[in-house]
Amino acid sequence: MVDMKNVNVHYSSGVDALVDIDLHINDGEFVFIVGESGAGKSTLMKLMLREIVPSTGRVFVNGRNLSALKGNKIAMFRRTIGVVFQEFRLIQDYTVYENVAFALRVADSSNKTIRQRVPYVLNLVEMGPKAKHKVRELSGGEQQRVAIARALANDPGLLIVDEPTGNLDPKHSYELVGLLKEINRCGTTVVMITHEHNLVRYFGGRIINLDKGSITFDETIGGSDYYEE
Amino acid sequence: MRNNNVSYLVKKGISSVWKNIVMSIASFSILLVSLLQVSITVMFILNANIIMGNIEDTNQIAVFVKDDENETDEQHEKKVAHIRDVLMANENLTDVKYISKEEAAEKWNENMDGEASDLLSMVPGGNPMPETFTVRVTDVKNIRFTVSAIQSIEGVEQVNAPYDFANALVNIRNAFSLIIVAMLVVLILVSIIVISNTIRTSVFARRNEITIMKYVGATNGFIKLPFFVEGCFVGILAGTASWGLTCFVYNSVSSLFGDNLAVWQMFGFFNLIPIETIRLPLLLANCVVGALLGAVGTMISTNKYLKV
Repeated sequence: MVDMKNVNVHYSSGVDALVDIDLHINDGEFVFIVGESGAGKSTLMKLMLREIVPSTGRVFVNGRNLSALKGNKIAMFRRTIGVVFQEFRLIQDYTVYENVAFALRVADSSNKTIRQRVPYVLNLVEMGPKAKHKVRELSGGEQQRVAIARALANDPGLLIVDEPTGNLDPKHSYELVGLLKEINRCGTTVVMITHEHNLVRYFGGRIINLDKGSITFDETIGGSDYYEE
Repeated sequence: MRNNNVSYLVKKGISSVWKNIVMSIASFSILLVSLLQVSITVMFILNANIIMGNIEDTNQIAVFVKDDENETDEQHEKKVAHIRDVLMANENLTDVKYISKEEAAEKWNENMDGEASDLLSMVPGGNPMPETFTVRVTDVKNIRFTVSAIQSIEGVEQVNAPYDFANALVNIRNAFSLIIVAMLVVLILVSIIVISNTIRTSVFARRNEITIMKYVGATNGFIKLPFFVEGCFVGILAGTASWGLTCFVYNSVSSLFGDNLAVWQMFGFFNLIPIETIRLPLLLANCVVGALLGAVGTMISTNKYLKV
């Protein structure tokens, strides 16, 4: 699903954002990527989204060599992954339904597919009853659920979630990660980037720690019952 | 791309015109001025060409044969034959006709309803009417040169040609065309820059949406299409308005001619192009040019500010 070999990212400012990264994420895994600010988490995400290409090394996602993708092939690749951001990135003037439908429309789906798929994913994230609400009328937690619904609209094999709980209170944060775990149980690979160690400790699973651009820890740990606010 | 998504993007582009109303009005106004200028210039040139044609068709040059009392009839006949040959050899002349003194007197008498014969008989020395050739020019632009050539023919007394008006019209048309073309180039550049800035504002207003589009897999065409629709739509609106104004101005000018038709006909204004015959082509041309200008402005802006 995600395969990185000898990946280095060197920015023109002189910063080595990633150094010798070897990473393999299998289909169906749930992976937390943790690390302090500046550790290289965002750069790793940008690589997986084909926003940037590595200075050296190779990145394969969903079987595609991302460095070889150009033009509209990048767009086609992005339709095979879902992405959720900390700041939701929803279109505030649109309704919940329209925001999810938007992702399907961008992928050139038919009206029939849109009519079938949008209610399905909204129900999956328990936002079905609020389909007609404008996004700006929703709470942060609800907006993040809509963002997840949008990311799932095109039925991606891989879901990349960047600091999804950054704008949520602890209760909603735990609920949201619980929802992501549920989505993962249904077969979607989830890569969640976070710096909230409490959440990681609570849910457990494969944890990859980045420090100064290098992977310093890559282990699977069990979750705890201790709920830490 | 599916039809439902194309119509969605077209609606997005059109709605963007209203959301971005201040810049849209600026683009619309500058485009309107440019297109109006193009339309009016085209109408002027088309009609000027027709008027020139009328003048060419009706323009008659009178070539007066020198009356020399000392020459014999044979010499006179040779002179007339020489003038006729030279006139007929001139490629810019057509319809060479000889009018003798008698024919001229007869014609004048006819025009005067038979009252001129008494008058002519009273003139000492006989028939005073001049012996002439009438000719027509094929290309009115060369009339001055042609008249000079006729004047230099041996045995020609005088040449009467109403070339002042024709030349004035040619000069006006040429000068007008040059000025208009120069102004047009400036206006077209300004139009493209203003449209480009309008689209830039629109891109800025929708940057969040564009980022989302990129992350969910929108192609370049999908992202750019609404902006093209916006630019072209403003262009088409301006084109339609320009067409309406041109028709209005043209009708007003035409009615001016209609009120004083007899006077204008003297100057060759016989048949201005009826607006009915060019209304549709004019509308199409305005809209197509407007849309093209809009598209060019959008292309510059999206290529520069929309790195997708």
